[in-house]
Amino acid sequence: MIETERREAPPSVGERLYRWLDARFRLGRLVEFVRHKEVPVGGHSMVWYYLGGTTLFFFIVQIASGVLLLMYYQPGEATSYESIRYIIARVPFGWLIRSIHCWSAHLMIISLVVHMFSTMILKAYRKPRELTWLTGFGLFGIALGFGFSGYLLPWNELSFFATAVGTDSVKSLPVIGQWLLEVMRGGPDVTINTLYRFFALHIVILPLLIVAVMGAHLLFIQVQGMAPAMRHQRPDRPGLRFFPDFLVRDLLLWLVCLLLLCVLVYLLPYGPGIPGMEWELGKKANPLAPAYPGIKPEWYFLWVYQLLKEFPAHLGPMEGPQAALLLVTVLMAIWALVPFLDRRASRGQSSPMFTDLAVAALIFMAYLTLKAWDIGGGGTATKLPDPRATAWTCAWIVLGVSSAVDLVRFLVYRQRWLAFSGAALLHVALNGVFGVNYLVAGAIAMLVAIAGVVLTSRKNPAAGLEAPK
Amino acid sequence: MRGLWPLLLLLGQAAPAPAPDDGKLPASVEKLFEEKDKDGKPILGDTERAYMKKLPLHTRELVGKDVDALTVGGARHLKALLGPELSSQSAAIIFSDNCILCHTDPESQKKIHLFSSDPKATQSNELLNFKNFVSDVHFRRGLSCAGCHGGSPEKDVMTPDIAARWPKADLRHADRTWIPEFCARCHADPSFMRGFNPSLPTDQLSKYKESQHGILLLQQKDSKAAQCVSCHGVHGIRGPKSRLSTVHPQAIPETCGHCHADPKYMAGYKKDDGTPLPTNQLEGFRKSVHGKALLEKGDLGAPACNSCHGNHAAQPPKVSSISQVCRTCHSQNGTFFDGSKHKQAFEAHRWPECEKCHGKHEIAKPTDGLISDAPDGLCGSCHAQNAKDNPECNATARYFRSSLADLVTAGQRLRPEAEELATRGLDAEPIYASLEELNEDIVQTRSRVHTFDRGGFDQGAKAGREAVAKTETLVQTARKEQRYRRNGLLVSIGLMSFLAVVMGLKIRELSQRRRAQEQHRRTP
Repeated sequence: MIETERREAPPSVGERLYRWLDARFRLGRLVEFVRHKEVPVGGHSMVWYYLGGTTLFFFIVQIASGVLLLMYYQPGEATSYESIRYIIARVPFGWLIRSIHCWSAHLMIISLVVHMFSTMILKAYRKPRELTWLTGFGLFGIALGFGFSGYLLPWNELSFFATAVGTDSVKSLPVIGQWLLEVMRGGPDVTINTLYRFFALHIVILPLLIVAVMGAHLLFIQVQGMAPAMRHQRPDRPGLRFFPDFLVRDLLLWLVCLLLLCVLVYLLPYGPGIPGMEWELGKKANPLAPAYPGIKPEWYFLWVYQLLKEFPAHLGPMEGPQAALLLVTVLMAIWALVPFLDRRASRGQSSPMFTDLAVAALIFMAYLTLKAWDIGGGGTATKLPDPRATAWTCAWIVLGVSSAVDLVRFLVYRQRWLAFSGAALLHVALNGVFGVNYLVAGAIAMLVAIAGVVLTSRKNPAAGLEAPK
Repeated sequence: MRGLWPLLLLLGQAAPAPAPDDGKLPASVEKLFEEKDKDGKPILGDTERAYMKKLPLHTRELVGKDVDALTVGGARHLKALLGPELSSQSAAIIFSDNCILCHTDPESQKKIHLFSSDPKATQSNELLNFKNFVSDVHFRRGLSCAGCHGGSPEKDVMTPDIAARWPKADLRHADRTWIPEFCARCHADPSFMRGFNPSLPTDQLSKYKESQHGILLLQQKDSKAAQCVSCHGVHGIRGPKSRLSTVHPQAIPETCGHCHADPKYMAGYKKDDGTPLPTNQLEGFRKSVHGKALLEKGDLGAPACNSCHGNHAAQPPKVSSISQVCRTCHSQNGTFFDGSKHKQAFEAHRWPECEKCHGKHEIAKPTDGLISDAPDGLCGSCHAQNAKDNPECNATARYFRSSLADLVTAGQRLRPEAEELATRGLDAEPIYASLEELNEDIVQTRSRVHTFDRGGFDQGAKAGREAVAKTETLVQTARKEQRYRRNGLLVSIGLMSFLAVVMGLKIRELSQRRRAQEQHRRTP
């Protein structure tokens, strides 16, 4: 009797809406997909699966806070700085929105970088996810573009000179350098035309681009699913249901991120005060004022900035900056093509060489970034930091932390492929501790790395390189 | 249509272009470049050629004419002329002035009579510094040697009228009385000077005659007294705006001190009261607030010696006029003092007004500590001697001091608060603006001390107290905003934590449900 009554009960509003939509869009297939979607479990920590989500969360915060800022921001020589001042001082919660936008931008890059390195170390880029890696690499580039273009918009002293220094490095590119510089700046110098360009880039061009690339990135993940752990690490366990099990965990992490953001915004509204990570408005940009020393780009560009400083004015037939940018381009190209270079991982075999490559990349960038921060150089407002003392301190920090990491890898994870990270450490030690020229030390380290690769592959062909057929 | 062709051809024909200036040197000059010294090395090298090529065509042609006319006698002579690498304008003047051409020729002149870029090294007369000479304001306006020495720059030989204009050498060095009148031939002639610098005064001589220097030189025939060249120099005279000038505001203390800070030179000179003229003025001035502003901070608005003593009419200001001299800059303080009780008292005692409390050459930056009724304090010591039974004055001094101290302390207390609020992300600009108002009010209040009256003083102090109150209100508003933000954060943290706990419970429930489902599936 009761059963009959139940069957005859009229459907709820939600149910009717679903049926209405299902009749038109065949939602049943989507529901079926979501119901069966799983996240791999085991092999390695689940934490790494959440990092793409946190990056997406900070990106959503960027969009929301950016749109709110756009309601008051007015680009122009007489209005850019003034409107930001107005947002901070007069607009209700304007200070909060700007600070959230700035903090979230940096946290997004941090989350993205960790996501990228975790993907690299876990070999999640391997076949069939090469295009997911490539789109992710594209997203990384676009995110850096967002950072670079957004930096100038307040039109204050720091952003003006940092943009002048940043765009100036483009000049060294062969053939198109000067042309590209003028395209970027809207003329030979940084003027208000540069700001208009950067504004258009920041709020129209890059958002359109990122939506397209991010759409592809997310589509690939939905179609292929999240990468499971490597076969040799993977226990035979059922996956975690995406809906609602993984989604609730993901949302909880987003909530924690929001909480972190709120605390940071309240405690450090203008950033932690680290060079390249501060956004106090300061004085309005004055193109006629002389640039003061110590102007630095944002922290994620610091390693390139320092690399440019390490190169001499001329290197063989090339100009120093030209050679430095060529090196950066080559390194970036290698990084982008890793899924195609790592043949072992694509066959599901362990690939410690690329794990070590990731660690070496971290050592390389960390040492340059620390040097760019002039850590241990003893610089003050009136005294320039001592580069030798900086190199010494930074080298010891990097050597200490990285040696510990390599030791853990060796003893705990039993990894024997340490040629790249060892060479990177040698580079740091030669330059920082023994005062060998950065490029000479780099050349020695490279030779050692090549020797290490050859020796390791002879000793144990299956350890890292392509096994002989 | 056919008829248009000639017109088009005519239009199409470009006007004859002027021949490009390829920097070619006249043939006679080229010949000098071939001359060699006794070692066989060319006397004129690439440096001279490069400089010559940069000269305009007409100047190069002028050099050619000089070489043809033998007023430039050889390669060594040309080298001496090109050595200082003068501007093309200076070069054009020099190559058309026979006085200079002759006095640069090492072949025809004694060393002592030669212009030189480094007179010491070439044993030339130190007045014949070539670089100084071409920078001279007279030279740059076209007045060269003949303007003062007589003769004509176009003539090839020196004529007796050159010597006639000047006293004999031994006489003119011993007796300097002729100099002011000599310079005044032009500088006291308005119609002549109008042609060069219409805004330059022409009353220097009349002023000088009334100055202490003028009286000493012209009436007492004391040739040690300063005259025109003592301060302005001889060759190489520059206008007062030039940083290299001896009469640039920052150079004036040294120029005056050249004599006045030299005890030996000033020995024998006395003040009106018969006491020796001191020589510590320069030392005192350097330490003074004025000296530091002028010489260390580079504030050209700060007074130098001439600002108080006059320049051409230099005299020590009389007691009666000292306060007027100070009033030219510190007019407000003077006005307040004029309406004060002290005015009459100072007049009765014939005291110089400002100098009595602030001193003269070594005027220190005044501090609020000057207002003190202590027996050794500025107010106290004077009042103890001259106005013993007046406790009201002491109370007023204490009131001034404490009121100023309150304002200053409030500013010092509020500024760090504003800075701290700024680092917390609050808008501190209105607070900073209010603190600036307070600073301005403190300056005004200090100035009003010169009224020596509570009523007058309070007009400034009241504005200062209002600025303090306004700043405090702004700080409190900012603090309130800060609390609002903190409370907002705490509420947000509370809400988010609650939501997080709920989600955590949901996750636990889901995990338990999955485990149960798993067990159920495994159980046969």
